[in-house]
Amino acid sequence: MATIELKQVEKKFGENYAVRPVDLTVNDGEFVALLGPSGCGKTTTLRMISGLEAVTGGRIYLNGKDVTWLKASERDIAFVFQFFALYPQMTVRQNIAFPLESQGEKQDVISKRVDEVVDMLRIRPMLKLKPHMLSGGDKQRVALARSLVRRPACFLMDEPLGALDAEFREAMRAEIKRLHIAQHATTVYVTHDQVEAMAMGDRIVVMSNAIVQQIGTPAEVYHDPANLFVANFIGSPGMQLVKGPYADGAVQLPGGSLYPVPAAWRPSLDGATGSGELVIGFRAEAADVAEDGPIAGRVFNTDLHGSYVVLHVDLAGDQLVQVRARRDHEYGIGMPIRFDLNETMVRFFDPKTELALSPALPSRQQHGISRAQDAEVSA
Amino acid sequence: MAITTTVAATQPPPPRARRFELGDSTIQKLFILPTLVFLIVWNIFPLLYSLYLSFTKYSHSGKLPPIWIGTQNYAVLLSDPKVWHAFAVTGMYALLSVSGQALVGFGLALLLRAKFKASGLLTTLILIPMMLSPVIVGVFWKLIFDPLMGIFSYLKFWDPATAPIMLRDHALLGVVIVDVWMWSPFVMLLCLSGLKAIPDYLYEAALVDRAGPWRQFWKITLPQVAPLLLLAVLFRTIEALKAFDVVMGVTGGGPGNTTEMVSIQLYRLVFQGQAQTGRASALAYIMLIVILAVSNVYVWYLNRIKEA
Amino acid sequence: MTASVSSTAQRSFAETGPGTPVVESVRVDQVTPGARTGLTVRLIAAIVVAFIMLIPVIWIGMTAIKSRPDATAVPPKVIFQPSWDGFIGLFTNRTQLSSGALATQKKRTDLSYWEKIALIRGMRILGPSKFVGQLRNSLIISLASTFLAVALGLLSAYAFSRWDIKGKGDWLFFILSTRMLPAVVVTIPIFLMYRALGMYDTHIGMILLYTAFNLSFSVWLLKGFIDEIPKEYEEAALVDGYSRLQAFGKIVLPQAATGIVATAVFCLIFAWNEFAFSLMLTSARARTAPPSIATIQGVGGIEWGSIAAGTLLFLIPVVIVTFALRNYLLRGVTFGAIRQ
Repeated sequence: MATIELKQVEKKFGENYAVRPVDLTVNDGEFVALLGPSGCGKTTTLRMISGLEAVTGGRIYLNGKDVTWLKASERDIAFVFQFFALYPQMTVRQNIAFPLESQGEKQDVISKRVDEVVDMLRIRPMLKLKPHMLSGGDKQRVALARSLVRRPACFLMDEPLGALDAEFREAMRAEIKRLHIAQHATTVYVTHDQVEAMAMGDRIVVMSNAIVQQIGTPAEVYHDPANLFVANFIGSPGMQLVKGPYADGAVQLPGGSLYPVPAAWRPSLDGATGSGELVIGFRAEAADVAEDGPIAGRVFNTDLHGSYVVLHVDLAGDQLVQVRARRDHEYGIGMPIRFDLNETMVRFFDPKTELALSPALPSRQQHGISRAQDAEVSA
Repeated sequence: MAITTTVAATQPPPPRARRFELGDSTIQKLFILPTLVFLIVWNIFPLLYSLYLSFTKYSHSGKLPPIWIGTQNYAVLLSDPKVWHAFAVTGMYALLSVSGQALVGFGLALLLRAKFKASGLLTTLILIPMMLSPVIVGVFWKLIFDPLMGIFSYLKFWDPATAPIMLRDHALLGVVIVDVWMWSPFVMLLCLSGLKAIPDYLYEAALVDRAGPWRQFWKITLPQVAPLLLLAVLFRTIEALKAFDVVMGVTGGGPGNTTEMVSIQLYRLVFQGQAQTGRASALAYIMLIVILAVSNVYVWYLNRIKEA
Repeated sequence: MTASVSSTAQRSFAETGPGTPVVESVRVDQVTPGARTGLTVRLIAAIVVAFIMLIPVIWIGMTAIKSRPDATAVPPKVIFQPSWDGFIGLFTNRTQLSSGALATQKKRTDLSYWEKIALIRGMRILGPSKFVGQLRNSLIISLASTFLAVALGLLSAYAFSRWDIKGKGDWLFFILSTRMLPAVVVTIPIFLMYRALGMYDTHIGMILLYTAFNLSFSVWLLKGFIDEIPKEYEEAALVDGYSRLQAFGKIVLPQAATGIVATAVFCLIFAWNEFAFSLMLTSARARTAPPSIATIQGVGGIEWGSIAAGTLLFLIPVVIVTFALRNYLLRGVTFGAIRQ
């Protein structure tokens, strides 16, 4: 019903890129999150899709139709703003009816649609109020209602939960997702909060500094980040990245420990390291405390997390890594400790190109690894 | 046993002449006193004395002291057709002038709200008429309106020989034109600040909602600017009722009494002819009451805005 | 270790955080050819409007440097030979020479530049006119009253802002209401008062009067500005041991600086342009420029050139101040009107 295609879409101001050329396809009914830190170009990209901002290169297709130079009012989209953008002098009901009235719809159609949408979002008690009387969460509900009432082909949302208090965010998050599923609505959703993107997105587009870093499902960007940025950005905390010289199938870590790389990785790693240095990436849950583990360090701090403990391990005085451990042991501060890395979950990166390296395994099996890890990352 | 206390870590100022430190309440009084003195001597006292005089028969150029005559001054004034005429002239002037200023000022604001090259500079240039001395510029407009020497007669709209002679036939309109020219920038400024306060995303939302430019103007722009526009209108109305400088400059109240506003009539009563100071005070008070009534609307409206 | 791709990509409006520069977004409707003209049209319209609004001012400037016959030419002259006639008429007293005296005057060789020009019109310069003195009066009275109004207003505004003074609301309302009074209402008693005290036609009388009238405006405006400065700064200073006066001087004054300048500009312009009081309460000694420019009479009728010259001189300082301090002005106008 509604697909969005971006072909080499870019945005330049003079010689500076706000968005470097992007290729993206959003399938019908998909929820795609544009994720990245402030200033990475995600909002600009969204605005170009919406027509609120002009592209300086490339083409945008909505349902196969070239809309690159159409105004926002000529595209079949709805836009939800971070600051709600509710018309301050109108009541909630008038706000919601506004898009239909602007199109010249008949009054009975308008009433019917407004009622539908009002019940969907449960804002009936507020119909006669003006926006400034509502709380943030309610304002966003009204904004959502307004976007739904026209039944557009796709929804574009610009950090809609950014202006809300933390306690409302989770509830609204679930509500937006529920709406998305119920409406089977194609949605592009901008956020800087990776937890949000991971929770809501069917696919995530990770951006940084005007460049798309990776496009993939939450599982893919979590388990198989394409580069150092994605590895560090996704996950709380991000993937830990430790650099060290590589020789004879082992990486030397700060503190002197030698980590022998898994056999499956050796061939590609041997061939890849030009500089002789390698970056190991692992998440806290990929590290297992083991008496005979290859990596040695001292416990710097412990965080109790309910069913498990996160140990902050000091490798060599200036590098802290987090290691997940079971609660059954007592870990004292300063205690020496050794751990190993799960060989299916560890990742390697080239320090110069910052790109992820891949083992010489067929891609199917790689995906198999990723899916298996999903179960592990439940704690 | 000595109890040692630690000194606070903050750095106090060098203790110079600490004993001359004035207490808060002294400072309060000191700070407000001069203003109050000015207020009382130059505002309250004159107001009260004026009130007293309005009930007397008195001429400041004569030798006799004021004689109490009760409300006679008021009675005479309120039944004098010339006085009513002056109020009519003032009212008409206020109506025309403020409407003109509102239209032109709002239009200017709509024009200048976008940021284009030199928009700041042009805005400042347009402010200039507001900054000039009304009487001086008013006098100069006499030249502009002069049927023979003035550029007004030579505008492309009409043949110079049959151009309207503002100062003779449409004197009030002439003064209104000068006033609108002078004060539209003020309305423009207020409307501009209102327009600039409208966030862009409101218009973007309206665009996405398929609202055309006229609908956007009607539903977003106008409601947001209306309070400020109204404020400007009220403020200018009060000023227009008090008008003196401009009229004195352009017409001096003439020809005859076609532009004789209340303030001009007052001036004539006091400083020309018989110097009927007592009666003039009464007229001044009548005028004051009218203006106070309008001002009350102004203040009430301001409070309403503050609450919103 | 994080990926560090350095880039100087500028950001669009929606992605800026505090302190980052804002770049105008390029909207589709502004890029497509049809709508691009919107801004250019505005620019042209604005230039035309500004020009029309300034025609009277431009005409003043032109008339000021026209020779006497040119100034009153029928039809009005747009192209002309500039001359100092207007200014000479403004600054000097002259007398028309009879034909005999004229001949004698023409034979003199010690005439100054100005006298030569006066001679063209058949006049001889007697001496400086009153205008210089009046201009001086305007300067003295405006500056002094502005200084007083701002200084006293500042103190009172501070007191009203920081403390709950008995009857504060009433006093503030009273102060506001004095702006509503037409000048003539107050003039009569003040005229009588000044006459009795011997303050009629004195500098000090006018200075105090202007101060009183500017005070209401300055207290209101400054109170608004001071209200915006958080009390916490002074309270911290007081806790640190500073006296109230020191806190006022060190903390409030610098932060209120823009407000003070804005207020001063307005008071200055009001006093500078003031006409009614000056007309009614002064005659020879303390008269300021506005009442007299209106009636510059030379020999043989209204000297438009001189009036224009006087007007021009009088408005030049105001225009300069407007330009130099336009940001303060804008803040003051919108602030004052809304805040009241």
